[in-house]
Amino acid sequence: MIMKKETPGQNPPDLTVAIGGLVLKNPVMTASGTFGYGEEYVPYCDLNRLGAVVVKGLSLEPRLGNPPPRIIETPSGMLNAVGLQNVGVRAFLSEKLPFLRRYDVAVIANIFGETVDQYRRVAHILSGAAGIHALELNISCPNVKKGGVAFGARPEAAAEVTANVRAETDLPLIVKLTPNVADIAEIALAVEEAGADGVSLINTLTGMSVDIEKRIPHLANVTGGLSGPAIKPVALRMVWQVVHAVKIPVIGIGGIMTAADALEFLIAGARAIQVGTANFVRPSATMEIIDGISDYLTRHGLGSIDKLIGSLNTNPSNGD
Amino acid sequence: MPEGSSVTTGEILDNRMVARDHFLMRVFLPLSFARPLPGQFVMVRDCRLSGPLLARPLSVFGFQRRPDHSVMELLYRVAGRGTSLFSRMKPGEGLCVLGPLGRGFSIHADVKRIVVVAGGVGIAPLSFLVDEGYRQSPSLEKRELRVYLGAGTEELLTCRERLSGVCDLRICTDDGSLGYRGPVTGLLGEELHEFAAEDTAIYACGPTAMIRELGRLLRNSPLRCEVSLEERMACGVGACLGCAVAVQNAAGRREYRRVCHDGPVFDLREMIFNGS
Ligand SMILES: Cc1cc2nc3c(=O)[nH]c(=O)nc-3n(C[C@H](O)[C@H](O)[C@H](O)COP(=O)(O)OP(=O)(O)OC[C@H]3O[C@@H](n4cnc5c(N)ncnc54)[C@H](O)[C@@H]3O)c2cc1C
Ligand SMILES: Cc1cc2nc3c(=O)[nH]c(=O)nc-3n(C[C@H](O)[C@H](O)[C@H](O)COP(=O)(O)O)c2cc1C
Ligand code: FES
Repeated sequence: MIMKKETPGQNPPDLTVAIGGLVLKNPVMTASGTFGYGEEYVPYCDLNRLGAVVVKGLSLEPRLGNPPPRIIETPSGMLNAVGLQNVGVRAFLSEKLPFLRRYDVAVIANIFGETVDQYRRVAHILSGAAGIHALELNISCPNVKKGGVAFGARPEAAAEVTANVRAETDLPLIVKLTPNVADIAEIALAVEEAGADGVSLINTLTGMSVDIEKRIPHLANVTGGLSGPAIKPVALRMVWQVVHAVKIPVIGIGGIMTAADALEFLIAGARAIQVGTANFVRPSATMEIIDGISDYLTRHGLGSIDKLIGSLNTNPSNGD
Repeated sequence: MPEGSSVTTGEILDNRMVARDHFLMRVFLPLSFARPLPGQFVMVRDCRLSGPLLARPLSVFGFQRRPDHSVMELLYRVAGRGTSLFSRMKPGEGLCVLGPLGRGFSIHADVKRIVVVAGGVGIAPLSFLVDEGYRQSPSLEKRELRVYLGAGTEELLTCRERLSGVCDLRICTDDGSLGYRGPVTGLLGEELHEFAAEDTAIYACGPTAMIRELGRLLRNSPLRCEVSLEERMACGVGACLGCAVAVQNAAGRREYRRVCHDGPVFDLREMIFNGS
């Protein structure tokens, strides 16, 4: 594991960020579905150092998920069609959460339903449980037949599910947006008005890959969600658009592999970031990213991360 | 997640062709890398990140502890971009190794007869099993170790020297260029009547078609058989749910398990075979 570098005589920069009422020790979280329930990464990461762990998407009842093959590597990325396999919200609380609670880390429950009522009920169950610090509403998963993307694709539907969950919980509420829409800022505005405390983006881009020898799709589900470095420029553009459309904090996700990638999102205005596919490539990627952000702030004489967030100068000739 | 798994930078000692499309790589590792159990695997990639994004799963083929370091052997077949890149790596270059990972084979102290069924490069984890699990055990004299080793043709066979002295080796080739003509499961099927369930343990690894045929052969047989499965992987540690395989659970219901974390070794009886 990489140890934090201490510059003698200098305080480490302040990395604290707030999303609604949720205060994080740093802006680096793990993206839902890429870090299991935390346990899997204990040999490689110090969970206590993470800003937050966002757990695999939870539904009211356990879900089997899609048949294999579920993943295929593509240029600078991968497609997945896991299909939201999960143990269900109750088993999560009794079997998975106790382990995470041993660590000093914020736990964000990513939730998903096929109907508004299912979202509401999952939110209700989680709100009554100790040890959950925020909810992230997945209205954007492309790999399930019902629900998921249907809610994320239209502003009215996105607002409806957000408002319903809002009425059910006092936990900070983050809504995770799909990039598979014409105007993501419009959806972001709709969920802000419906009471979201923050938005996170992007979920995966819908994609496809064909095995030309067998003339079959590489994924049993035919289509899947694209993640990894390939989607970073798209994600960054969308984050930038949404930052300018809403007042609530924006969490940047998509192809973040290194501290430099994370810094791009922060400078573009993201209050925090999530690391997904990078965990598969380098299991300690989050640790390296936290250290890299801290080193960058020190190097640029910035005492706190607030000074960096949204500092993008789109008109350099008018700058200093 | 098995005890002692870590991310380690190894150094390639040598990497040479041992049969057409098949390479043997020896990797220098620090002692901090935990000793793998037979059937466990590692996720490996070129440290320079110049190749594919994701690491590739490879079974541990051999492992030797020295006073101040360890040497791990990997036996791999060039199947696509990732393995082709491995085949071009040179001694001295860095290999990023995540592992050891997964649940390995069960070792039975009591069985009299060990039967190994290997298709192609599927011999990799099985050769390590023979070596680590059984060959070095003191009671070997009283034991029969039989290995069915199959390949398309003689040129594609590996491990003959390594195995011939230590076990009863039965070679099968699809084209009959060496040994039995036909698939390993063909010869095994003919000789299955020689085995009794009480004192025999069967272990297998190979292409999906071979595993499926084995499932058919042993469907109504009381013989115990463990298989090491292959599925595409992203994380290798149980987090992404990408490597799902369908099994029948204790209650008789279909569910998915993770090859990387719940396997790669499974009881053949748990497996669900369908058309795909
Ligand atoms: C637990 C485990 C242990 C393995 N041990 C060995 C080993 O010791 N030696 C060895 O040669 N191979 C082993 N494999 C298979 C090896 O991982 C694949 O051949 C390799 O990942 C292919 O990568 P590639 O980039 O070269 O091929 P790609 O271009 O990705 O694919 C080429 C072909 O290989 C298939 N393939 C891709 N990934 C896998 C995979 N994970 N398993 C099976 N087929 C795959 C593809 O469907 C395609 O037909 C193992 C796989 C697993 C899951
Ligand atoms: C294997 C896999 C599983 C995922 N599962 C979920 C999920 O359950 N819920 C969710 O909201 N997003 C899920 N995602 C999306 C990620 O959280 C993230 O938004 C996306 O992968 C883009 O980030 P990345 O490029 O850093 O991976 C999943 C992604 C992958 C690769
Ligand atoms: S490869 Fe990720 S769960 Fe098995």
